[in-house]
Amino acid sequence: MKALSSRQKLIVRAAILLALALLLGTLPLWAGDYWTRIWTGVAMWTGLALSWNIIGGYAGYISFGQVAFFGVGAYTTALLMQPSHHWNFFLTLPVGAAAAGLLALIVGWPSLRLRGAYFAIATWALAEALAQLAGVFGFTGGSFGISTPANPSTSFFYYIMLIAAAITYAVAWGLLERSRFGLEVKAVRDHQTAAQSLGINTTLVKQQALLLSAVIPAVFGGIDAYWITFINPQSVLAGDITDQMVVMALVGGLGTIWGPALGAIALYLVNTWFNATFGSTTGYIAMVGGLVAIVVLFLPDGIIGLLPQTRRLRLVRQLLYRSGRSLRPERGTPQTGGERP
Amino acid sequence: MHLLIQTIVNGLLVGGLYVTISVGFSLAFGVLDVIDFAVGEWVMLGAFVGVASQSWFGIDPIAFLPVVFVSFTLLGWLVAPLIYRVRTSHYARPALMALAFTFGIATLARGSMLTGVGFDPRTVNTGIVSGTLVVGGIQMPWLRLASFIFAVVATGLFIAFLFFTRRGLAVRATAQSKQYAGLMGVDIKRVSAFAYAIYTGLTAMAGVLICAIYSITAQHGPRYTLLAFFVVVLAGLGSVGGVLVAGLFLGVLQAIVTVYVGADYTLAVVFGVLFGVLLVSPRGLLRRGLAP
Repeated sequence: MKALSSRQKLIVRAAILLALALLLGTLPLWAGDYWTRIWTGVAMWTGLALSWNIIGGYAGYISFGQVAFFGVGAYTTALLMQPSHHWNFFLTLPVGAAAAGLLALIVGWPSLRLRGAYFAIATWALAEALAQLAGVFGFTGGSFGISTPANPSTSFFYYIMLIAAAITYAVAWGLLERSRFGLEVKAVRDHQTAAQSLGINTTLVKQQALLLSAVIPAVFGGIDAYWITFINPQSVLAGDITDQMVVMALVGGLGTIWGPALGAIALYLVNTWFNATFGSTTGYIAMVGGLVAIVVLFLPDGIIGLLPQTRRLRLVRQLLYRSGRSLRPERGTPQTGGERP
Repeated sequence: MHLLIQTIVNGLLVGGLYVTISVGFSLAFGVLDVIDFAVGEWVMLGAFVGVASQSWFGIDPIAFLPVVFVSFTLLGWLVAPLIYRVRTSHYARPALMALAFTFGIATLARGSMLTGVGFDPRTVNTGIVSGTLVVGGIQMPWLRLASFIFAVVATGLFIAFLFFTRRGLAVRATAQSKQYAGLMGVDIKRVSAFAYAIYTGLTAMAGVLICAIYSITAQHGPRYTLLAFFVVVLAGLGSVGGVLVAGLFLGVLQAIVTVYVGADYTLAVVFGVLFGVLLVSPRGLLRRGLAP
């Protein structure tokens, strides 16, 4: 194929983006209620998977408690929209995001200075503890849950989710792929000591990445609470939600912007098909687990790694791996490319 | 006062099982350099093998323990090379990928069991140990006492193996430094698989006993994973001595919270303590673990 000039590339990209926007923007008009609802779900999960990818793929810290931020957002919106408070729906979203951000600061403070395993444990314990507490506290309605006011039409939620997902992707792309912050995050992930020697405040960078990845699910959680009109710990604080984010980001491609979107579309549709065909979600959990294991073993770069342009990325990583080995002091661990496990 | 002593005794008796689980878990981390997210699932799977032995074959689950040990050792021996492969691969972030891999295995196990047996809690009844021992007004059900004795013996044998045999020496050397152990002629891959296999076997046996004392559902795996983490973080990663103290401490803490605060608050308290320890002393309470 003849190489395109940068100007031509820009035009092709703009055309694809425009076509996509047109397709998604008019979807409720021609797709019908059922498919509009499914694509609302897809939009939500693309955002959630991306949020996980920011801390997991870009910063290199696996969060097994991402659902905690989602749940905090959902509960905040639901509580503030109760008849006694009667907040406007859109005003509740920033409050939920702020609450989730605060939570992220608290949990990240001790655990982000340590190795990834500690962070994984801390986030997970946080999510489990929150789910248990939401089930006993009075103001969250206990295990019975709380309901939100009756809501507008299906297409309203479709557009809200779509806009939220679009903003999420635009912000994440700008911050992670087109700014100094993105380079810093990747530098810290790939070689913490080297990044530190360049004057990067590694803990601060990781904390910022976590903050970004916590705020996003809170917003989607808020929208979700209003959409499904009834939330309880099982529906918005279940560990399965985190599992789903992990598998979507992994299958799509860790540390890429578009990977989570691909993964979310593929897996959400499979999930819907699974539920419609077998009528239960437990088989899907097993499939998610098997898929994670298989992807890790055979396709570590995800679907997006199959695309031709990303070969270069792989090469860079392998080079990094080699130089990382010679740079790295022996720490009694298997040889790895300069990273902190 | 009587209630407090009773609670502490109850906690200590169960804490023994946590020690058994966590010693293996800590060691598997040492040799494979991967936190095994499937630890709770080995507990759950072991418990369900116990349930199956009782309902399908009518064999007492306590008598079935050796079979559970052998079969799960075999299973662990098959899984370990996969984890090893991911951990030592040329991926960009092998430690992260290995963590995700064990998480995948855990989710696979949980989903399969939920599909297979559903959400109902199961328990096993054993006829070998029954009744209650009463000492000075403190009640000790023989089942819990037997579990505790089992935990002490199993953990003791395991530690004796680690410190008094040549193969145990190889395992400890591998946990300390893969490179130097390899230079001394230790087959790292085989030693890792071996240690992981023993750990899964021990954990599954503990699972059968936990199932006999409490009850278990296919969803309970993550709970025990969290508890095992708690013990290991409190002990400091890689510290065997710390695990003995931290496991018993967890048992007591859990019992006290259940009696005086409410069972629904256990995870919140566990998280609170975990958070505090990570903040103040990330190398464990005794400060004997590896640098985090």
